[in-house]
Amino acid sequence: MSYRRKPLWRILLDEFRRIEEEMSRIEDEFIRRIKEAEGMRGCITPLHNLYESGDEIILTADMPGSSKEEIDLRVGENYIRIEAPCKSPIRGERKYLLHVELPVEIDPTSVRARYKDGVLEVVARKRLRGFRIRVE
Amino acid sequence: MKETYEGVEIVETKPIEGEGFIVIEGFPDVGLVGSIAASFIADRLGMKEVGYVDVEALPPIISVRDGKILELIRIYRKDNLLAILSDVPVPASIVKPFSRELMNWIQSKKPKLIISLTGIPEPNRLNIDKPKVYVLASNAELAQKLYEATGIDRFKDGFIAGIKGMLLKEGVRRGIDTILISAQSHFNYPDPGSAAEVVKYVSKILQIELDVKPLLESAEELKLKLRDLMRRTSQMMQGVQKSRELERPPVYL
Repeated sequence: MSYRRKPLWRILLDEFRRIEEEMSRIEDEFIRRIKEAEGMRGCITPLHNLYESGDEIILTADMPGSSKEEIDLRVGENYIRIEAPCKSPIRGERKYLLHVELPVEIDPTSVRARYKDGVLEVVARKRLRGFRIRVE
Repeated sequence: MKETYEGVEIVETKPIEGEGFIVIEGFPDVGLVGSIAASFIADRLGMKEVGYVDVEALPPIISVRDGKILELIRIYRKDNLLAILSDVPVPASIVKPFSRELMNWIQSKKPKLIISLTGIPEPNRLNIDKPKVYVLASNAELAQKLYEATGIDRFKDGFIAGIKGMLLKEGVRRGIDTILISAQSHFNYPDPGSAAEVVKYVSKILQIELDVKPLLESAEELKLKLRDLMRRTSQMMQGVQKSRELERPPVYL
């Protein structure tokens, strides 16, 4: 029996697909946990993004169907917690709940937030400690 | 010569005969703008399902709506208008061969025009009330014609990743009139507001009446219903380097 070696591009493509399958499996597990938690608690984990920009931390969360008066936003030095009622058309989904651990400490007194077109944006200043160094 | 990719089968459950088709595609990507816009157009025009696309690399799942089993990627038709809608993102690793096979099939239908719909990621979207819409055409004459007919701005510099980019590339290579209509959009939040702007331009180009009011009225509900698809699509977007659309192409002179 003779074996033909696979061309390099085919080996790379197969490897790419294997990595994609592995990432897909991890992602699927992540989504399963979110959906199970949502199902058990009747809470929606909103789609969200966390950015670091200069000396600020910016969190945005997609929370359609709420109102700024009803959003309960709490912050600590290393977390942001959002809870808000939700008028979801899907049975059992009653409120949004999001707790985000922050990668750096923030100054909780600096936090400002706005709710626009169903998206909540929270901006906080990082708590920076250190010295100013003169550049030579 | 590219190897034929055998993992795609396009089945016409009702034979799609004729020519001069206008093909709209709304595969999920940035802000699900294309999916929302194309689904809305198909729904408002009362387009009927005439076929499906079977993709070997898709997970073994079926879509069920109101007790009815649906194909994951479906083809709809009304007169000479075809729409391709998908309930799932196409895996990043097969985007290139998938796009080529899809284009082979579209080409066999002797299309007059292919219209891709999408969102263009706009980090500042929260501060924009009316997203701007851009068009990118496979040739200069077509771009000029669209500009004269609708006053739509041209997409000038940037990258287009994923199926939309590949279809446009194939359109250029094969000499098939292909356009990409994109509106400023949230990157990974469903964006019906952006989709509404895209629909407005499609209605101008096709010269059909499409009132986007119902789309805007159901925006909150749509965003909630589509958040799972958005999560899955975000993963695919990483695979095709969608973040490149936030970059500018290199210019040396």
